[in-house]
Parts: sequence; C-alpha cells; structure tokens
Amino acid sequence: MIFKKDYPMDYIKSFEQDLAYYFSEVLEKPLAKPLWIYLSLSHKCTYRCQMCGVVNILQGHELSVPAVKNIFDVIAGWGWDLTVVLTGGEIFLRSDIFEIIQYGAAKGLKIEAVSNGALITKELADKIISSGLKNIAISLDGAKEETHDTIRQKGAFHKAISAIQNLVESKLKSGSGPQISVWVTIMRENVSELFNIIPLVKEAGVECLVYHPVIVNQDDMQNTSSIARFWLKDNDIELLKTQIDKIVDYQQKHGLVAFLHDPYMWIRHFKGELAKKDWKCNPFVFLNVGPDGDVRSCGAAFGNIQKLGLDECLKTKEADQARRTMKNCQKPCLQTCWANPQSDSLTGIINTLIDNLRKDRLDKQSKKQLLLTALSKLTSYEEMLKNA
Amino acid sequence: MLNLKEVIFSITNRCNLRCKMCDIPSGIVAELSTEQWEDVIKDASRLGAQTIVFSGGEPLLREDIYELIVFTRKNNLSACVTSNGSLIDERTALKLSEAKVNVVNVSVEGTRQTHDLLRGTGSFDKAISALKNLKKYKIESTVAATVSKYNYKDMLYILEIARECGATTVRLQPFNGIFLKGNDRKSEFLIDKFDIPKLAEVIKEFINLAREYGISVNPAEYLLKIPEYLSGKNFYPLTCGALWYSCPINPNGDLLPCWIEGADNKLIGNVRAEGLYSLWLSKKRAKMINAIIKNGCKGCLMSCYDEAFTRKFLKESIADNARKIKKITDYQKVMNKALQLLKSQITKLKLRYRFYSSYRGSFFGILKRRLRSFFSKARPLRQDKQGEKDLVLGQIEQAKKRLKKEINGL
Repeated sequence: MIFKKDYPMDYIKSFEQDLAYYFSEVLEKPLAKPLWIYLSLSHKCTYRCQMCGVVNILQGHELSVPAVKNIFDVIAGWGWDLTVVLTGGEIFLRSDIFEIIQYGAAKGLKIEAVSNGALITKELADKIISSGLKNIAISLDGAKEETHDTIRQKGAFHKAISAIQNLVESKLKSGSGPQISVWVTIMRENVSELFNIIPLVKEAGVECLVYHPVIVNQDDMQNTSSIARFWLKDNDIELLKTQIDKIVDYQQKHGLVAFLHDPYMWIRHFKGELAKKDWKCNPFVFLNVGPDGDVRSCGAAFGNIQKLGLDECLKTKEADQARRTMKNCQKPCLQTCWANPQSDSLTGIINTLIDNLRKDRLDKQSKKQLLLTALSKLTSYEEMLKNA
Repeated sequence: MLNLKEVIFSITNRCNLRCKMCDIPSGIVAELSTEQWEDVIKDASRLGAQTIVFSGGEPLLREDIYELIVFTRKNNLSACVTSNGSLIDERTALKLSEAKVNVVNVSVEGTRQTHDLLRGTGSFDKAISALKNLKKYKIESTVAATVSKYNYKDMLYILEIARECGATTVRLQPFNGIFLKGNDRKSEFLIDKFDIPKLAEVIKEFINLAREYGISVNPAEYLLKIPEYLSGKNFYPLTCGALWYSCPINPNGDLLPCWIEGADNKLIGNVRAEGLYSLWLSKKRAKMINAIIKNGCKGCLMSCYDEAFTRKFLKESIADNARKIKKITDYQKVMNKALQLLKSQITKLKLRYRFYSSYRGSFFGILKRRLRSFFSKARPLRQDKQGEKDLVLGQIEQAKKRLKKEINGL
C-alpha cells in the first residue's frame, strides 16, 4: 500500500482501488479485492413476490454460521475497504442472524442488510439497531397499500411501514445505529407512484431512499418471461420520465434520494437501448456467495466455500474463465454491483484524482507528494504490463 | 414445471358402500382438516391448476365438502365430485348446486342386477335417483363405469341410462387392481381370452350408439384398447401427461406421482408438512419423475389421460387434418378459421419479439453482434492481446504526462 491506511481522504482510497480494478481487468489477474460481497444467507422467505423467483431455486440450502464466520475472517484479513451485504430470502427468518452480524461487526466490517420488513417488530428493531449494522434496507414497492400488496402479499404494506417506524423509533431511543433506507423497485405497477413514495417515507423518518429498475434476470433466472409483466411499455416510459424529473428536482433541493446511476439511464434501460459503454461493470468488483456456498461474480459459479477457502476460490481456473466471459459480456444489465463509471478509462481515473486534489485544501508539498506516489504506482503497473 | 392442470383429492377413506373391486374403506386415517385442504387448493391455484376432483372413499361423507367446493370455486378452479350416488338425495343436490359444483360423477356399473352384485343391494336405485336429482337441480352429471368381466355386456345399457337421466358424458375405465389390497383377487375381474371378440364388438357398438345419442365418451382409440387390456396386456402411453399435469393426494396428505406409480407407497411427500407448492416444484419430484421416465412406468389404461392415446405424430395428424378440411364444403369458413389462427400466431410472435428485443436489442443489432463476434474469433488471439497491450501502454503514457504536468504546475 502506497498510501497510509489512516489517510483521511476517501478519494485517494478510491483512486487506489479504481487503479487496481482497471489493471486487474487489463492483466486478467486479481490484483484487487472485491468492493461488494453479497452473502445470500438463505433462500427462505416470508413472501412470494411476483417479480422474484429466489424461493424456487436452491431450496433447503443455508450457509452455516461457522462458514459465514470463516468468510468474515478471510475478508477482514484483506484490509480492503469493502461492504458486505446480507441478503436472502428474508434474513430475519434465521434465528442465528444476530450472531452473524455481531461477529462481522466485531471484525470491523461494513455490514448492510436487506429485508422486506415482515418480521421487524419493536423487539427485533431494538436488536437490529444495536447489532452493529451500517445500513438496513427495507423494500417498499408502492405509495399505495394495494400496489405493494398485489406485488407482494396482503398486509405486506402495513408490515413494511410499521417495520420502518419501529426501526426509526428504536434508533431515536438509542441515539445511534444503522442508516435506515428504503429500496423501491421500479416496475409497471408502481411507475405512477414513484414520487409519492418520497413524502410517505420522509414522514416515517427514513434517511435514504433508493430507486432501482426491475432487471431482466438476476433472481428470476428460471422464469425470465414473467418479468415481461413488469416491464415498462411506451406509455409507462413517458410517465417514468415525468416521475424522474420530479424526483431529480426534489433530490437537488432536499437530498434524501440516492441514485446508484444516472436516473435518466432507466428510460434507456426500459427501451432496451442501453449499451455496455453506459456503465462500468468490472468482473473484479463484485462477489456473491450463495446459500449453497457457491461463489460467483456473475453467471456461473467458480468455486464453493465448503470445499475451498474464499481466497482459493478467486484464484481457480474457472474464476479466470468466468471473468473473461464477463469482460466480453455485452448484455445490457443494470445491476447494483457496478463501479464508478469513470474508472473504465485510465484518463478518467487520473482526472478524478486531480479534480479531487484541486478541490482539497492541502499544502502544495503534500499534494506533490501524493501525485508522485500516484505516478510511481502507475509506473509499477506499467512494468507489470510490459513483463506480462 | 409450473404446469399443474388437475389435482385429485382423495379427501376421505370412509365409504358407505363395500364394493367388490375396491378395498379402500379399511382402517382409520388421520384426514387433513378443512383449513389444510384449503391451503392445498390455494397452492393448486397458484400453480395454475384448472380442476380439483374430489374423490374418496365417498367424498360426500365429509361434512365440509360443500365448504371446500365453494372455496375451490372462489379460487377460480372448477370443482368435480366423484360419488357413488347413494347419498345424493334432493337436499344434497340442492346443496351441491348452491355450492356451484361443476360436474358430479356418478358410478353406474350396469343393470340393476350387476350393479347390486358389485356394489351392494339397493345401490342401483340410489344411483339412478341421484342422477335424476342432479338433473332436477341442473347440475352437469357424468356416468362412470369400471369395465370388468362382470359388467362388460351392460355397456350399452349404461348409455341408455345416461340418456334417460340426462347425463352428458359416459366415461369407461377398465378394471385395475390399484384399489385392491392384494393382487390375488385381481384375476377374478379379468376376461377370458375367448370373450375378447365379444367385448370388442360391444365397445364398437358402444361408440356408434354414443355418437347417435350425442353423448360424449372417451376417445375411440382409448376404448378400443380396453379388450386387450382386460385380457392382461399392458399399455405404456408414451404421451401420457399424468406425471406433468396432475397428481393425486391421499386423505392423510400424501402426494403421489400418479395413481399407478403411487400404489406401492411411492410418495413425493406430504402436503401437510411441506405444502403442495413447494413439493410440486421440489427437486425430489423432479428426481422421481426423471427416474420413472428413465426406468419406464408400470403402464396402465387409466382414463385420466385417455386423450393421450389419441395423440398422433405430426405426419399422421397433418394427413388427418387435410382429410377433415376436404370434408368441409364451406370454404369461407375454413379460410376464416385459418386467417384467425394465423393472426393469433402473428400477434403472439409480435409480442414475444417485442419483449425479447426490449432487452436483447433489435434483430439487426443481434445479427450485427453475432457477426462481429464471429469474425473477431477468426483473428488470432495473441495479436489481439498485443494490440490491447499497446493501447493500454499508450494510455499509461498519456496519464503519466497528465500527472507530470500537474506536478509541474504546483
């Protein structure tokens, strides 16, 4: 590491990471550790939502607590600035979930969780708030009760709202805790309500609202055609445009909403005009561990943590092959596992660093020092490439 | 595998009759409760089923049968009850019509003498009055008969009864021993070799008479196989969909792959514990089906998938259709029908293409990509890599210049 780990500026860390990802892709070697690690703890779920087929695949598999602890040990040993996202199914169906979260938090990892809120009562909310999570995301699919309930299950809307309220209440009580956020999946049923979710959520006391369009085949790999019902058609796209305008306007004035990518990209996503150049998908950025222990970045699994360690999984031949396929993949997906779009080109990475450095109020000498180290890092990568 | 069509609920093992060809009403079984059956119905509806058949034992012995029928109809499924008819008096018929049952099957085995011999004294009159009561309350009724040595001569009489009582359908099924406890009594119902031609004749007449009366019966191809089956030959319907489209559930909730395959305790699981939905989509079921396909099934001539016997290979069916078209003189009708078919196919294709292109890009886009990848593969790989390397080295040079410029500017 050329930069000291405790250096205060985040952009230097991200520069270092972006550079490592860039050269990992060029050299087809894992020089960098992943930025996102998704742990699917179980595929059991309380609901059978219409857009999701997770419960139908891999029934009966669950990651055991020792296996998860093992993963946390390995990840914590990397010393890399990454985020672990616990997904499912519904993770709070597991009785040992807090043991997992507390172990990870004690290791100093950034742990986030995704839930539908069905099980979050006041007592569970207190536990969640004090568990050491960094972020908890509750899914909400509509501003109206009927919309959310038709997509998920009768009574789901009230449960989700009361879950949010319980979380907010107990966070206020304890004074600190995870960021409470809401995730909205954009689909045909709820396009007209997208903006109306904002006041609802704000009133409940949520700190972050994230919109994400329904995607072709992530969780529902078995039955892609069912997504067709949720896909936006001509009229809906017009509607989406007006909704985005409103949301962007609100975001610039009041914040609250966070975008994972340019929201106007959603329109092109639904029209099918998205191309690979529009966003950055780096095969080294993302790692998913399934409930059966399969490790994958995207597509085929390249190892199983029950047989190999996580480190070994990343070095298998299959992993190389998988990354190569991902590199050449032209499928327009709009997944959440993406990196900074500027990190796609070297000039982009350098420009971001210089821009950030110019904004920073450091003295000239230390700025010069930083730039020199960046230069030397670049030279070392250059030599690596020449020798390859 | 989300293509469930029909679920057969054997809701009880209890029965008020003791028929010769059936040993079901023996022993007490812990039956599923009303709520549990309702959960199964819900699951069936989620799996896309169309019909629920309530069978038994005698399903009308369960007091909650009307409740279950109402629930089935509420879930947009059609409900069918298979009964021996002995309990269908006017009150029951009224209740059934209020519950909006779709079809009631009543078993009639032949003349009064034969029927009473097989099913017990007095049961014939009760079955006939049941059919009349159903007619009175405008419930569609079907007459079902199990063809065996005892009653094969009475088939034509059954048609007469059906006509008289206003039944729309007569369904025959050759005797099979699945409801008998041991195999030793099975031969009692089979037909002597010498009587096969007689039975074949009866069946032929049966088909002709049914056509005359306008009563629908099982497909002719199926019926004509009955004589051979009853003489001991087995059939393996290649296109039978029983394993894919339907399943029987026992009173205690055991889910069987099909009646025949489930006869020797071959289960998929219990709906009480795991629920129909997850069982139907389970790996266990897929494994079991695959094993049956691999090892072959036991063979049967059950009427549940009798239309499987009418399915033909493409060549034959085209020839058949051509023959049919020749028969029709009204060409405009034919043309209209053909046009309609074509239109529906085109719209289907259009919709499918629109969806497909929405995430894959247009047809030409796909073609372009395919061609590009095809030609890029033709180039040697190493050269390509070298090209990429040079490109990146150039970029590094530029980035270095930019950094140096920035340093000098400070």
